[in-house]
Amino acid sequence: MSIGDWLFHMTELLRTTRLVEFSLRVSDWPFALWLQSHFYAIPTFQTFHILAIAVLFASTLMLSLRVLGISGADQTLEQTLRRHRPWIWAAVLALVASGIVLLISEPVRNMINPIFWIKMALLLVAVTVSLWFQRALGRRREQWDVSSKGHLSLRAASVAVVLVWCAVMAGGRWIAYAPV
Amino acid sequence: MNPDNIWQQLENSAAGTTIASSEWMFPTLETIHVIAIVTVIGAIAMMDMRLLGLASGNRTVRTVAHDTLPVTWTAFALATISGSLLFVSKATTYMVNPYFLWKLGFMALAGINMAVFHRYLAKGMNRWGEPEAAIPLNVKLAGALSLALWVIIPFCGRVIGFTLGLYTPS
Repeated sequence: MSIGDWLFHMTELLRTTRLVEFSLRVSDWPFALWLQSHFYAIPTFQTFHILAIAVLFASTLMLSLRVLGISGADQTLEQTLRRHRPWIWAAVLALVASGIVLLISEPVRNMINPIFWIKMALLLVAVTVSLWFQRALGRRREQWDVSSKGHLSLRAASVAVVLVWCAVMAGGRWIAYAPV
Repeated sequence: MNPDNIWQQLENSAAGTTIASSEWMFPTLETIHVIAIVTVIGAIAMMDMRLLGLASGNRTVRTVAHDTLPVTWTAFALATISGSLLFVSKATTYMVNPYFLWKLGFMALAGINMAVFHRYLAKGMNRWGEPEAAIPLNVKLAGALSLALWVIIPFCGRVIGFTLGLYTPS
């Protein structure tokens, strides 16, 4: 079975759940109707969503590049972590908030879509990996500074955290291309 | 189809028809484009925020530029390549879309703003670029303009996706 067939099958499965009723009910909410009837509303919230992931992803990337010893060598690991950590988590909040608005704007297209649920699963993985990675960095910051010769597990995690956020973004883009 | 202008010729090229007729190429290029553009915006915003005195205040402007510029240019190259390939597959449709043309215009403005910054404003960087030093107003304005442009550019990009059917080549 190809990926396309499997996704199609999953969509059929989602169609047998209560999500159908629920998503249809959400699409009748006044806010949903407002979003649908104002041409610039959805692209505006999508732009907000993109700007939030821009802050999150660039901050994550810079933190990882510092751990890998590729950039930011003038700053200690603690300084780099302190610089980026608040921005990353503020961006996660903005991402979730704008994401909820986008979900309300097209409830059926998202909830009856396996790629949307794959993206949500990837999001959980990305948040978990980010939390774990930052906590591991925080614990080590006083004993030693991570460089290109630092612990292999942390270097591997710094690459993994970037890749998993890329996977989340890929999921977001492919929501529009689910086979129906 | 008789190609009578350059955009039609591009669309009819091997690359254009291959991407347009493939099921997975367009969304894959879009995915690369999104990841690249998000990196460009985030890295530029870090530099702008330093110029506005809102972040990285304990570092010199020079080191922040040194860290963010390679990321910005690498991601920008990736965004340009993926963007060009997306463009080629629907060249005539994009060329009549006002939001696409606005997007190009705003990107040109962002480029000019960046060039002016590095050519003229960056001269006194060793003084005002020190940690805790006061940043001149024109430098702050360049940072604010850059931030504003990089908010408008993805907005235009998003609206293109909703207006492709609205503006069709004659």
